[in-house]
Amino acid sequence: MAEVKELVKELTKKEEEIRELIKAEIPWEPVGPTPMPEIPDLRSWDMRLLKTYAPFYAPFCDLCCFCTYGKCDLTEGRRGACGIDIATQQARFVLLACLMGCSAHAAHGGHILEFLIDRYGPDKKIDLGTFIDVEAPNIRTVVGLKPETLGDLQIALEYVFKEIAHLLDSCHTGQEGSSLDYESKALHASMLDHVGMEIADIAQIVGFDFPTSVAETPLVDMGWGAIDKSKPVILVWGHNPATSTVVIDYLREHNLEDKVEVCGLCCTALETTRYSDRAKIIGPLSRGLFFIRTGIADVVMTDEQCIRTDAPQEAAKVDSRMIACLDKAMYGLEDATETDADEIVRRMVDNKEQFAILDSPKAAEVAVRVAMEIAPQRKKEWVAEAEAMEMAKKCTNCGMCEQVCPNLFNIGDGITEVAKGNFDLIRQQFNLCIGCGKCEQECPNHVPIFKIMQTAASMETWKIRAGRGPVMDTEIRNVGAPITLGTIPGVLAFVGCSNYPDIDDVADMVYEFAKRKYIITLTGCAAMVAGMKKFEDGKTVYELFPPDFDAGGVVNIGSCVSNAHISGAAIKIANIFAALPLRANYEVMADYVLNRVGACGVAWGAMSQKAASIGTGFNRLGVPVLLGPHSAKYRRLFLSRKEEDDWRVMDARKREIVDSGEPSPEHLAYVCETKEKAMVTIPKLCIRKNDTPQGRSIKLNHYVSLYKKYMGGGLPEDLHLFVRRDADIPLVYKKEVRAHLQEIGWQPKEPVGLPTLIGTYPSKVPLDAVIH
Amino acid sequence: MSSIIPLHRVNVLTGIKSARVIEDAAQYANFIEKAKRPLLVLGPLLREWSLDGKLAIEYALEIAKGANIPICATADVKGKTMELGTKPDSVYDAVEIVNHLKDPDWQGVRREGNHDLVIFFGIRSDLEEQCLSVLKHFAFKHLKTMTLDKYYFPHANYSLPNFRKEKQWKAFLESLLDNLKKGG
Repeated sequence: MAEVKELVKELTKKEEEIRELIKAEIPWEPVGPTPMPEIPDLRSWDMRLLKTYAPFYAPFCDLCCFCTYGKCDLTEGRRGACGIDIATQQARFVLLACLMGCSAHAAHGGHILEFLIDRYGPDKKIDLGTFIDVEAPNIRTVVGLKPETLGDLQIALEYVFKEIAHLLDSCHTGQEGSSLDYESKALHASMLDHVGMEIADIAQIVGFDFPTSVAETPLVDMGWGAIDKSKPVILVWGHNPATSTVVIDYLREHNLEDKVEVCGLCCTALETTRYSDRAKIIGPLSRGLFFIRTGIADVVMTDEQCIRTDAPQEAAKVDSRMIACLDKAMYGLEDATETDADEIVRRMVDNKEQFAILDSPKAAEVAVRVAMEIAPQRKKEWVAEAEAMEMAKKCTNCGMCEQVCPNLFNIGDGITEVAKGNFDLIRQQFNLCIGCGKCEQECPNHVPIFKIMQTAASMETWKIRAGRGPVMDTEIRNVGAPITLGTIPGVLAFVGCSNYPDIDDVADMVYEFAKRKYIITLTGCAAMVAGMKKFEDGKTVYELFPPDFDAGGVVNIGSCVSNAHISGAAIKIANIFAALPLRANYEVMADYVLNRVGACGVAWGAMSQKAASIGTGFNRLGVPVLLGPHSAKYRRLFLSRKEEDDWRVMDARKREIVDSGEPSPEHLAYVCETKEKAMVTIPKLCIRKNDTPQGRSIKLNHYVSLYKKYMGGGLPEDLHLFVRRDADIPLVYKKEVRAHLQEIGWQPKEPVGLPTLIGTYPSKVPLDAVIH
Repeated sequence: MSSIIPLHRVNVLTGIKSARVIEDAAQYANFIEKAKRPLLVLGPLLREWSLDGKLAIEYALEIAKGANIPICATADVKGKTMELGTKPDSVYDAVEIVNHLKDPDWQGVRREGNHDLVIFFGIRSDLEEQCLSVLKHFAFKHLKTMTLDKYYFPHANYSLPNFRKEKQWKAFLESLLDNLKKGG
């Protein structure tokens, strides 16, 4: 009995500590059931999701090689020496990937916060502008804290770090024995990722004056053709703007902005253009190695996350100077943080030495001075066609390059055509190239494939809108009703990396769905490549479509960490439009999004662990994510079996469980092989049980018309599952669909008045909590 | 473990259980004929691959017809099969059909019971290999897998080798067709 009392006392103390941390006494909203949730707190929600969307494991490997008991063979039902089976091992891998992603963003946020608190102090106010009151929907929902200062963000971040340690602990040999529990942990880690991303981007917006409360951010230049090579060129590469913004500050302070070009690769590029519309975006990660090898950059400054581990070697090959600016990637270089700037400049210029400089202002000064000094002596010529033809003659088209190509194409075919003076094929292949460089490494004849590809690389420039940060509360008020009723057919989030089957795919998808009046949001590499194709009048999607979070708008939210503003927008629909309290109320928010917000993520080129956690975080919030074919290598999807699974939900109005018979959304994490099939799948993944007849008919109109366009005619095989009543049938297809439904014996079904999963599984959340 | 390295090395097997390489079309035909409920899963590359001017999808449809094997059209292949006069028995994406196949109680595309032999043909090799891995690990008790692509797929039960020349692959497919016709 004494033990029980002690336990109760301990729990109460813990709850009190949490309430103190989240400043529960400030009554902006009542504190919900799960402030600062720990691993078990949202487990029931996860298990309910996983019941419908069961994990689908595609092992990359038969073995486990994590400990010295192994390697252990896990084929045909065998268990490893610790007892683990193949499914649980895959789930453990997934959790580790999500933890890497979550840690990358959270640590990014930690670095930015440290940098900014050092500059401004912890009491610097968070103000995201006139049109954003709900400044941190993820932090408010998960943590239960309304952050008012940078110091408050630190409280949220410390919670994330603590949870990461517990989750990582669970990956140790001989512990968790359930794949479902590992998935619950992966969902937890990935929810935390959205908190970490939100912390990072709010801090950046506040600390660097990035755009906020504005839709029409500047259109900035993208593409290497935009760079004036006659000037000194500094390339910033990675994700953390603490480096790049300080370079721009230095140039401004010394009146050098017109004299030095600053360009960026990957998310740092996006961040830099949020700070200065003079900065240039080279492109996504897939263009990184190619650009480095052109030697156009006089100085390369790396920071963190997706860069390349051979950045110093590649920079040295083309005589570019190199500075590693963050501790995440120091490349074995001499740490010159404490060294005198004059000495570093001299050694970089004279001896071509590379350094790690972890002091941003010093790194900026050194980069600018070195670039200005060496640029006049450096040659920055692109390979001419005649020269490329000579180089290409060494190719015997042996096919070794194809064998190592992650995108499975034979660059040798293109190279041998170049040798004949035909550049058409290699231009097409450049669109397929993900820029890993493995082909050149493998070539037995040492053909300089990347140099030859310079002749294929377009010098074209494109316009992309600078990232704008959070969706405004005012916008949410305008679109909340049409989204939840279904009359805006969906909110699409094009996110993730640049491991595309074809680099044009994302632009094509954005164009198709913007024309159809979906709301398009974009971040990271996807935001960049969407702008790398021109449509009518030579315009990119950023020039063709309005930048508003509204039907037909194309909104560049920002970098990877800006993904939190997309999940945040979904939460805001529940909170601002539906007036459901969000504070420490994750299940209610996620349940609302799953059942009523027709949103779908599209991570067509997802490659990294960060993309894994971003996507899985969306999944916990009830947003399905469609992935490109490479993503089968993530090892795990969340799939339903539409005609056989249990689609019962609670109808909160009737207060009874009803069988909706409708697989919406059909999957939570899904792989498509072709762009065409993705075009057909996206509108289906935006269907929600809450759709009005008018909304459903609009959504089905897109589903059917895209099916006809890309699947060769006819009607979708599963159309009957999504037609509840005759009124759901799109007018233009009424006759054809009615005939089809009659033929297969379709029966109408009652739409669910207020669909929710609350009440269908054990939860602390009462059913009344979802009624608004 | 087989010493064969897959053509696309992103698909190199990391494990101990790899596909048996079959080069004899008669043996393949024999496996197909012995199967009670085979299934042919068609991928979008079949529309692109051409063997001496004949599309690989034409071979696929002839094999299906010759041996009365139901077809699952993945991705956006359905349009091409319809154009060639064949309505697929089912339309699922690769991961969807595999998700069904791994359940022993699934009733199959003809609702006659789950399939006992699944033949993959024309899915991009990294995705196809992952699909085969799912079945190797989670469906090994109730079905076997086989591939008809010109590459080696280690996660299958039976695979063709990496054919160096298209004509070897073409000869195999034509011989398979002949054998199936003889068997029928």
